[in-house]
Amino acid sequence: MEISRRTSEIATSAATALIGLIVCYGALENGIAWEEAGPSSGFFPFCVGCLILLGSAATGAQATLRPTEGQPPFLDGERARAAILFFLPIVAFAALAVFLGLYIAMAIYIVYAMYGPGKLKLATSIAAGLGVAVVNFVIFEKLFMVPLLKGPVLNAVGIY
Amino acid sequence: MSNISLLLDGFSVALSTHHVLIMVGGVLLGLVVGVLPGLGAPNGVSLLLPLTFSMDPVSAIILLTSMYWGALFGGSTTSILFNIPGEPSSVATTFDGYPMARQGEAVRALTLAFSSAGIGALTGVIVITLLSGWVANFALRFGAAEYFAVYFMAFASFIGMSSGSPFKTLVSMMLGFACATIGADTISGESRLTFDFEQLIGGVSFLVAVIGLFGLGELIMTMEEDLTFHGVKARLSLREIGRAVLELPRYWATVLRSALIGCWMGITPGGPTAASFMSYAIGARFAKDKARFGKGAPEGIVAPETADHSAGSCALLPMLALGIPGSATAAVMMGGLMIWGLAPGPMLFTTRPDFVWGLIASMYLGNIIAVILVLATVPLFAYILRAPFRIVGPMITVVCIIGAYTVASHTFDIWLALIFGVAGYVFKKLDYPLAPFVLAMVLGDKAEDAFRQAMLTSGGSASIFWSNGLVGTMMALGVLLLGLPLISRMLRETGIGLRRKALPQQREIGST
Repeated sequence: MEISRRTSEIATSAATALIGLIVCYGALENGIAWEEAGPSSGFFPFCVGCLILLGSAATGAQATLRPTEGQPPFLDGERARAAILFFLPIVAFAALAVFLGLYIAMAIYIVYAMYGPGKLKLATSIAAGLGVAVVNFVIFEKLFMVPLLKGPVLNAVGIY
Repeated sequence: MSNISLLLDGFSVALSTHHVLIMVGGVLLGLVVGVLPGLGAPNGVSLLLPLTFSMDPVSAIILLTSMYWGALFGGSTTSILFNIPGEPSSVATTFDGYPMARQGEAVRALTLAFSSAGIGALTGVIVITLLSGWVANFALRFGAAEYFAVYFMAFASFIGMSSGSPFKTLVSMMLGFACATIGADTISGESRLTFDFEQLIGGVSFLVAVIGLFGLGELIMTMEEDLTFHGVKARLSLREIGRAVLELPRYWATVLRSALIGCWMGITPGGPTAASFMSYAIGARFAKDKARFGKGAPEGIVAPETADHSAGSCALLPMLALGIPGSATAAVMMGGLMIWGLAPGPMLFTTRPDFVWGLIASMYLGNIIAVILVLATVPLFAYILRAPFRIVGPMITVVCIIGAYTVASHTFDIWLALIFGVAGYVFKKLDYPLAPFVLAMVLGDKAEDAFRQAMLTSGGSASIFWSNGLVGTMMALGVLLLGLPLISRMLRETGIGLRRKALPQQREIGST
C-alpha cells in the first residue's frame, strides 16, 4: 500500500475545502448582511470560510497540475503501520480516561506501550506504568493542586 | 533615560530568590522540552500554562519565558550532537554543527552555539529595553482601525514571506480564524459555528490546538519516521569551552549581521525559524571561504544561532507593546496574559509597569542562567537521548494528554487534541505552516473585534481604513506584503531577482 504525495495533497485540500463550506454554512445561519452598526456576526466567519475555499482550491489545483515524477510518496505501508500502531493506543488511552479516569488510563497505556512496542520486560513495564501514574499524581494533586479526572475506581477506594 | 530607571526597578522585582529559583526551574524544564523531539517551545508553554493560573502573573510570566529560553537553547544541543533538531528553529544549526561535532569538536561546536545564542538573545533583550516603551507610547494613539491594520499587516507578512506555498499559509491561517470564531460571539453574544454541540459553546482553546498540532502531530511523525539517535560523544572540558569562547570575537561581523536579521525577523512576525535559515543563507553568501559551509564552518553555527535567539527574544516586543505576538510561542504566552487578566498592549506599560519591566529584567538573567545550565546539562541530556524513542514517545504522549485535560478539566478537550494531532501530522507532512494557525487562533477574536469596532465608528464604511496617513500606510504595506510572492515571481521571471543560495533540502516545519 502506498499513498502518493499528489493523492494526499488533493485529499487534504478537499478536506479543508469541506471545512470551508461548513464554516460558510454556519456563518449563513448567523446572517452575513451589513446592518446599520456594521456587519452582523456571521460576516467575518463567512469571509474566513470563503478564503479557506479559495486557498484549498488553489492548493488542490497546484497539486493536480504539478508534475509528480521524483516526489517521494506521502506514506508507504510500513510507515503507515508505525503511525497507526502509535496512534490507536492513544485513542484507547483517551477512551479509557473518560471512563476510568486519567491515572488508571495512563498506567494501563504505559504498561502496554512499554511491554508491546517498547519491548521491555513485563515487570519493568508494570513498574513504569505505576511509576508514571504515581509521579503525575504527586505533581498535579499535591504540588500544583490541579486535580485530574480520578474516575469511579479511584473514587471507590476513597481518592477524590 | 527613563527606560533605564524602569529597568532597574524591574531588576528589583526579578532578582528575588523566589524569582531566580523560578528562572532556574523554568530553564531546566525548557531544556527538557527543547531537547525532546515532540515537545517544542509552543507546546511546552501550552502544557505549563494551566499550572500557572493560580500563580501571581509576574512569577508566571517569568516561569514561561524562562522555559522559552531553555527550549531555544535545548533545541541546539540535539542539532549538534545528534543531527536531529529538537526545535524547528535549530534546523539550520545542524548544517554545520553536526559536521563539526563529527570531526571530534563537539564541545567547540556546542560552546560556539550557546555563546553566540546568548549574545543574540541579549541583543534582542536590549532592543526590547530600548524600543518597547517608545513603541507602546506610539501605539497609545491607535484606534480600532489602526489595530486592525496592524493585525492585517502581521497576517499579510505571514502569507507574503512564507517560504512554502502562500495558499497553504492562507488555508492554515484561515482555519485558525475559523477555530477562533467557534463559540459565543464577543459582540452580539450569538453562538457561532457550534452546530448545536454543547461542548463547543465555550469555544475551542488555542492551548488544546497547540498541544495537538505541535505535540501529538510531531510525535506521530517522529514515530512514523522511526527516529534513532546516532549521537556524537561530548566530554566537556573547561579549557576547550574557554578556547571556543575566545574564538568568538573573530566572527564579530557574522554575529552583528545575524543579530540584526534576528531582531528584524522577530519584531515582524517572521519568527526564529525563518530568521535562522535566512541568516545561514546570508552568512554563506558573505563568507570568504564558501566551500567550508556545510562541512563544519564555525560561522555556519554562529549565524543561525545568533539569529534564532535574537528573533526569539525580539518576538516578545510586539507581544508586549502592541499585543501582537511575533512567534507561535509568543502567541501562546499572550493567550496566557489574557487568561491571567492582563491586557497585552500599550496600556500594560502604564497599568502594570512592575509586570512589564520585571519581565524584561528577567530576560537578561534568564538568558545568562540558560547559557550556564545548558552547558552544564549537556552530558545529562546526551545520556537521556540514548533511550529509544519508543520508550520516550509514550511518556511524552501522557504529558500531552494530561495537558489537554488540564486546560479546562474537560475530557472533550482530549478528543479535540487527538483530532488536532492528526491534522498537525498531515499538515506537517504536506508542508502547511502551523505558526499562522496558532497566531490566528489567538488573535482571531481581537482582529475581528477591531474590524467591527472600526465599522461601528465609521458607520459601516470601509473607507476608515484609508482615513488617515498612519492607517492608510499600514494597510498599503499589508497589501504590498500580500502581493510579495507575486511580485518576487515576476522579478524572477524577468531575471532581475536576486538568486538565492540554495539551502540543503529540509522538510519545512512550522516556525516556533
